Amino acid sequence: MATPKTEKDLHLPLSRVKTIMKSSPDVEAVGPEPLYLVTKVTEMFVIDLAKRAYKNCKGNNLEYKHIAEVVQEDDTLDFLREIMPRKITVRQFKEIMAKKAAKGDRSDESTEDSSEEESSEESSSGNEES
Amino acid sequence: MAEKLEDLNLPMTVVTRIVKEALPEGVSISKEARTGLAKAASVFVLYVTSAATNIVKNKKRKALTGQDVLDAMKDIEFDRFIEPLGEALEQYKQIASARKSGAGKKKDEGEEVETIEDD
Repeated sequence: MATPKTEKDLHLPLSRVKTIMKSSPDVEAVGPEPLYLVTKVTEMFVIDLAKRAYKNCKGNNLEYKHIAEVVQEDDTLDFLREIMPRKITVRQFKEIMAKKAAKGDRSDESTEDSSEEESSEESSSGNEES
Repeated sequence: MAEKLEDLNLPMTVVTRIVKEALPEGVSISKEARTGLAKAASVFVLYVTSAATNIVKNKKRKALTGQDVLDAMKDIEFDRFIEPLGEALEQYKQIASARKSGAGKKKDEGEEVETIEDD
């Protein structure tokens, strides 16, 4: 891997990164140096994430679930868990619900989030509850 | 400030390009995966920013520096980035000072704090 030499090694648009940074409370001005570093580290981060996700996939197709897996397994990626939930299929969802119901507490079956009747697979974003 | 909501997301095409360059050739990335990676990168920007801002606050300073960003890596337990990022900071400083002495050649887009005055 070549060592980056100049600012030109950045791919992400600095202006956009700056906008995002400024959307954070307490950030008024963003100088060029922190902007450069945040952009740089974000690129490093996304490459790192993709590479680790790639290790999870057997073939040559990187899919969402491979990324979500990395996110769920690494505690330092906790900040991504909300936006990258592990997806489950409708069938898995039903199984989970069935198990729950079987566990005895029949007090709160149904109602809650059981509105997923999408025909597609991989729809409901259930956080596992164990 | 961001006018549109999309302004708070990094462009997916660029993120995809970065990732593709880093993965072996011939790997295909599903659309959902692309969206996910772009989102993750966007959220990461905020995450790092707030970690770095916290450092600034604790030190009772005002301006965010490159070193704060570097120090933030430790706080968020991304130690593996400290070394390469430290190198990047060094390089950046060198280039920045070289540029200063060599009279501003080209400028970054959208600067506000830089206050570059040509001639």
